[in-house]
Amino acid sequence: MQIEKFQYDNTIVRNFTVAAILWGTVGFLVGLYVALELVYPSLNLNLPWLTFGRLRALHTNAVIFAFVGNAMFAGVYYSLQRLLKARLASDLLSKIHFWGWQLIIVAAAISLPLGYTTSKEYAELEWPIDIAIALVWVVFGVNMIWTILKRRERHLYVAIWFYIATFITVAVLHIVNSLELPVSGMKSYSLFAGVQDALIQWWYGHNAVAFFLTTPILGLMYYFVPKAANRPVYSYKLSIIHFWALIFLYIWAGPHHLLYSSLPDWAQSLGTVFSIMLIAPSWGGMINGLLTLRGAWDKVRESSVLKFFVVAITAYGMSTFEGPMLSLKSVNAIAHFTDWIPAHVHIGTLGWNGFLIFGMIYWLIPRMYKTSLFSEKLANAHFWIGTMGILFWALPMYVAGFTQSLMWKDFNPDGTLVYGNFLDTVTQIIPMYALRAFGGTLYLIGMILLIVNVLRTVATGKLIRNEEAEAPALEKVYKEHSGEHWHRWIERNPLKLALFSLFAILIGGIVEFVPTAMIESNIPTIDSVKPYTALELEGRDIYIREGCNACHSQMVRPFRSEVVRYDPLHQQYSMAGEYVYDHPHLWGSKRTGPDLHRVGGKYSNSWHYNHMLEPVSMSPRSIMPRYPWLFSTEDHDASLNTSLTKKKLEAMKTLGVPYEDEYIEQWESHLSEQANAIAADLNLNPDIQVDSNEEIIALIAYLQRLGMDIKQSGTQTASNP
Amino acid sequence: MKRNLIFLAMSLASFPALAKDGRAIVDFFSNPYQWGFLIAMLFLSLALYVVNKALNTIREISAPKAIEDPSVAAVEAATEEKPRSFMQILTDAKPIEKEADILLDHDYDGIHELDNSLPPWWLYGFYLSIVFAFIYMIRFHIMGGPSSEDEFNTAMAEGQAEVDAYLASAKDLIDENSVFLLTDAGRIASGKKIFDEKCVSCHLADGGGLVGPNLTDDYWLHGDGIKEVFSTIKYGVPSKGMIAWRVELNPGAMQEVASYVLSLRGTTPANPKSPEGILIEPAKEVQTPDTTESVDSTNISETATIQE
Repeated sequence: MQIEKFQYDNTIVRNFTVAAILWGTVGFLVGLYVALELVYPSLNLNLPWLTFGRLRALHTNAVIFAFVGNAMFAGVYYSLQRLLKARLASDLLSKIHFWGWQLIIVAAAISLPLGYTTSKEYAELEWPIDIAIALVWVVFGVNMIWTILKRRERHLYVAIWFYIATFITVAVLHIVNSLELPVSGMKSYSLFAGVQDALIQWWYGHNAVAFFLTTPILGLMYYFVPKAANRPVYSYKLSIIHFWALIFLYIWAGPHHLLYSSLPDWAQSLGTVFSIMLIAPSWGGMINGLLTLRGAWDKVRESSVLKFFVVAITAYGMSTFEGPMLSLKSVNAIAHFTDWIPAHVHIGTLGWNGFLIFGMIYWLIPRMYKTSLFSEKLANAHFWIGTMGILFWALPMYVAGFTQSLMWKDFNPDGTLVYGNFLDTVTQIIPMYALRAFGGTLYLIGMILLIVNVLRTVATGKLIRNEEAEAPALEKVYKEHSGEHWHRWIERNPLKLALFSLFAILIGGIVEFVPTAMIESNIPTIDSVKPYTALELEGRDIYIREGCNACHSQMVRPFRSEVVRYDPLHQQYSMAGEYVYDHPHLWGSKRTGPDLHRVGGKYSNSWHYNHMLEPVSMSPRSIMPRYPWLFSTEDHDASLNTSLTKKKLEAMKTLGVPYEDEYIEQWESHLSEQANAIAADLNLNPDIQVDSNEEIIALIAYLQRLGMDIKQSGTQTASNP
Repeated sequence: MKRNLIFLAMSLASFPALAKDGRAIVDFFSNPYQWGFLIAMLFLSLALYVVNKALNTIREISAPKAIEDPSVAAVEAATEEKPRSFMQILTDAKPIEKEADILLDHDYDGIHELDNSLPPWWLYGFYLSIVFAFIYMIRFHIMGGPSSEDEFNTAMAEGQAEVDAYLASAKDLIDENSVFLLTDAGRIASGKKIFDEKCVSCHLADGGGLVGPNLTDDYWLHGDGIKEVFSTIKYGVPSKGMIAWRVELNPGAMQEVASYVLSLRGTTPANPKSPEGILIEPAKEVQTPDTTESVDSTNISETATIQE
């Protein structure tokens, strides 16, 4: 058997690690800033690009795709080479992957604060960036698979199964969810509308968590935990079962984000039961991780790396138990739209993702620089400060979520709401928001300690750019030996592994989506629901640009407390048929402010005008930021940009919204007629001086339209025959 | 383990209790000392849990070391056939000292894998969740369990029944037919309190009007009587942005605000909004308070007394 010599590429791993640390710090800082904005709304400094609605997307994108993404690539590239006994297939592809990904992040960091967003959660980036993501992702996949093909190790280790499933599934999710019709260079509309768009979005959103924040990290766990603990993995059988069960079951569970929404009940139920069935497969990963430390617990006391891993895996176990509990409708009725959900998410991200990555970095850096960690004590301090940060983040948010939810549902004996003013339920929990920001500060301090530690460590060593390694060449023919586990048959063949994974993840998505898309009876139409006018459509795009949906839902759930609060006259909850022209849907996932689906006609135009200019003037103690840039002043021109209006109407028509050709031809007169009417109404007010071309007019037009089709119809649901 | 389970069960059991008495829990959290205490307790129980876990772990890791003692090893060997403990049955894990038996021959960059069996508690838990899934789907989608819409209708009917029962038992509930102008200074004052909290953003503190109309002049959009004002407050004027306050305010409170609003008539606001609606001369028998005077409570009760 011939021994071959080759070199591992450490430069690319170092680069991705540095990028993860850099973007992680940025992401945490932005997170802290938006957390503080909820306590001190004036922190937006009246600047559009510093306002919560826009920065929230920057925070989520930065921590998910920039921090975890870069760290994932670092860990995957480090472990992949060693598990396959092969250098990465192409240095060029590695470089394209690295720089391409950083460019995408920079594009996101610029475009999101500028208000370029599709509004779809965790997929906010506009279509040119979406295409770039798809291309770079394929580069990553090709580089990985090519390396696998050049391997010197016959069988693929469990970590690599997770990497392959990650590559395939994220590609499918990203492409399907990003199907959109461009209107201009940085504006597009989702191909899907309303309920279907929401279902696709949360099929994506849920599985972005599964296949971007979970499966690759499990892969990293399977490499770095046994390496750091120097212990064998607990159970190979468990690896097999939990891997296949996890990827098959995860993909079905997306609808649990839409419980009690207008999604058909049967789809909601699938979300619930598949979430419950996910407990065991998720815990399989936790068991295999924690029990790998069996017999190494004494090392945990000494090693900060293992401490980070233990908390990470425990946090994974906790949030994968909590998630299914939240998928039970009775629990979801309390938790959804409240701060309970961010608390749940942050146990997963701060605990599982963050801590596993921190542990990995502390383990990787000294090895790549052939030195030892500058200070174990500093790493320990990071561990404890970070742990306190997680607790201070999550516990106040659990209290806040529970408190607010109960306040929303609290009735007086005479049938009125005890807290009829939504704001009372917000001001109640502001102290909790302050505590959460404190937790975030602690977590960020931990990150700074990591940076210091890494810099000092790097200074004492030198990067081994190309690490020498040797291994016997792979023999051409493989003879199975008797008693071999059947699964080895798959592990020998990356193509089979990839195809079976693809098959496993496609089933759930197809079963859920195809019927909803094909069978019209799933979405009963309502005759009185009409397309938005040109002005309303422009107003809706302002609503999307400002990220209003980050804090305001558009989904009155079928609860007594919600219909009484949001639609006191008709007491009608939101129905699927109301959203048929909503490309994209704007249901939202969090109510920091009240639901807006029936806000039309609730307030006067002048109320909205004053409220957008200075929220506390209409709603004292409100934590909504000011939006002065929607109003023209001497120094600021807030004229509505109508250069795309016609194209937008045409795009909507292409997507199936029934605009008459005549309407599209005459859009300008329709638009100015409606705008003039609103401006005239506003100008009746002695304190208001507004021009009909200001952006605020379009936004008011949209807000006043919300829910009016139902309020004016007088009739209830008219189902399709 | 058993203690952990009890701890878990107790926490779970407390949830429905909390949910039933929503009001109490809200009051509870409104006191910062109380939620501070709650967080402290949470931390404490978490700390206790962790310490307990750590102690157990230390006990576990110190246990195998005893085997190094030859006499203990002999005892172990002698009692090898003893029945397996509950924990062993649940986990079915090979003891660490015997794990060489199940070490697989693969070596991935120095990583080895054991071939422990699937932990039975995990496996049967998995089966159980699958059974749950079937039962759930059958119950709600084959056996006709309540849909979201059914649940909603039930909740609305129950809510209405509760309200009806309350209205039947509650005496002197005010509506737009039975409402009368209040004379009691204390109740007018509580009307002012509500007004300052809810109404000033549109009508200003002195009633001069901003988004909403001026409440101090003799021009009225929806009538100037207590019944009309009460009605306007109760049902709102959605087209103009006046909120239907019956969702937030109970009838007594709306009566108080309405009475306070009428007490503002004839006062002089700092920046009065120009008149809206139609001119309604003050009723002759009502002696309008002198505009130069401040409207104190005595004045109001006098006015009201005169009206009666």
